[in-house]
Amino acid sequence: MLIRQRAQAAVGLAIFTVLLVVSFQRSQFFGSEIGGDPLGRLLDFLQRMNPHLRPEVLLEDRQTRGSLHSWFYALPIWLKAAWQTVQMAILATALGTVLALGASFLTAQNIMPFAPVRFVVRRILEAIRTLPDLIMALILVAAFGVGPLAGVLTLTISTLGGLGKLFAEINEEIDPRQLEALQASGAGPLKKIRYGVMPQVLPNYASYALIRLEGNLAGAAALGIVGAGGIGIELQRAITYTEFDTYLAILLIIIAMIFLIDLFSEAVRHRLIGLEKA
Amino acid sequence: MSKDTYDQALAIAPNALRAPWTRRVRDGVLLLLALAALVGMAIDLGLAPGALMTGFGKLGRFLGEMFPPSSGGQSVRIIRALGETFAMAFAGTVIAAVVALPLGVIGAKTVVSHPLLHFGFRRFLDIFRGIPALVWALILVSVFGLGPFAGVVALALADIPNLAKLFSETLENTDPKPIEGVRSAGAPPLAVMRYGLAPQFAPVATSQTLFFLEGNFRNAGVLGIVGAGGIGFELDERIRIFAFDEVAFIILLFMICVAALDTLSRALRNRLA
Repeated sequence: MLIRQRAQAAVGLAIFTVLLVVSFQRSQFFGSEIGGDPLGRLLDFLQRMNPHLRPEVLLEDRQTRGSLHSWFYALPIWLKAAWQTVQMAILATALGTVLALGASFLTAQNIMPFAPVRFVVRRILEAIRTLPDLIMALILVAAFGVGPLAGVLTLTISTLGGLGKLFAEINEEIDPRQLEALQASGAGPLKKIRYGVMPQVLPNYASYALIRLEGNLAGAAALGIVGAGGIGIELQRAITYTEFDTYLAILLIIIAMIFLIDLFSEAVRHRLIGLEKA
Repeated sequence: MSKDTYDQALAIAPNALRAPWTRRVRDGVLLLLALAALVGMAIDLGLAPGALMTGFGKLGRFLGEMFPPSSGGQSVRIIRALGETFAMAFAGTVIAAVVALPLGVIGAKTVVSHPLLHFGFRRFLDIFRGIPALVWALILVSVFGLGPFAGVVALALADIPNLAKLFSETLENTDPKPIEGVRSAGAPPLAVMRYGLAPQFAPVATSQTLFFLEGNFRNAGVLGIVGAGGIGFELDERIRIFAFDEVAFIILLFMICVAALDTLSRALRNRLA
């Protein structure tokens, strides 16, 4: 191995070690009043999430300790909150996709001829992607109040940022001949988009939007924690009352919800890909 | 196109110029149904236009108050919090990578070849893949107490299943030829790993881990909202008291740091690739 390569590797290793030591120290991983014995505490935490189910009374009523019903004691409320989360994700994905569609035409080189417009819209989309959703949610909850409205708006804006970029990339990769043909026959910008772009890009758009739906659902679950509606509010409540087993129950509902939407989205995407090939 | 040629074309191939009316009606009905479902959801969620208007009014005022951004004389504290945020992200990513490596090995089809075991293990990882770090952080804070430690564990927990999946896919995609070559030269198993496997696996895995570091820094910035350390705590505090000039200062600083880390990490990843 070349000496230069070795020296580079050594410097890299040194930087990494320093960063590692400093970051573990700064994040109080060892030796703080609460951080000692991390593994023991983790085990303790798992222990406290245990709902202490007892097989002999599993199907008894809510008052019996150790039954499924007493573990999932507020199931109808949680399911309703979970449904609210799903609705938030669907609405935000739909709205965000429509907005991203508009934005993508404004940023695609082959459709938007004015460079300044492309530049400004691109920078806005970039800024949205840099800002974490939850920070946006905090501000929107302060403005729109606690509830799903702030959550839907947050996810809509973040979907606009994420999909706008992807859509613009798809737009720039389309076959230019169809656009030129429309241009030659005197079509305006809207007609060019409708007949020259849309037929080429719609399946790709739909597939990205569905992937985004999966992400938005997980995002919507977390948004509730800062007061933006949905199942997250129930998580926050379980923590407020230090009901760790309840937390686990709601977590299981969230996992099931994400799993179902993933299945749905995957099925639709496979159908779309099939359509494209056919 | 003149009217005549259009009519001729329509007579020869009606479906090429215009979708058959049955399809047009079907598409229209489907679109209307989808729109009705969305409107129904909006109503069910209680999204009222009035609330939207007053909200935008407030939001406009907040945005107005954001300029000019001001540190509120606490820049040292804010920069320390940013440092803590990076420390959390770095520690969390390293822990996640260390734990995900053996899991990734177990999850690779080339290592555990039994299809049922492979499928079962992958599904097991999938269960945890969707859970956001904030959801872990919320409960970990009440177990470990306030502070960055809970944040580090939350970031690691959220990453481990995702990284493990990527690692096992990378392992599955390694070329067996160099490994066989080293082995056929009579190398002991450790040397086979070092000279056959590592040169293929390490750069890709490092680049994946760097990518997660970028994401973790963004995520670490919000964990403070539930008390898990970092800049999120400072932000939440100032949003609660409507000190939006300081909020803008923190957000701008954070976004600059995010962009800087992304650029640095992208440069490193490009060198690795």
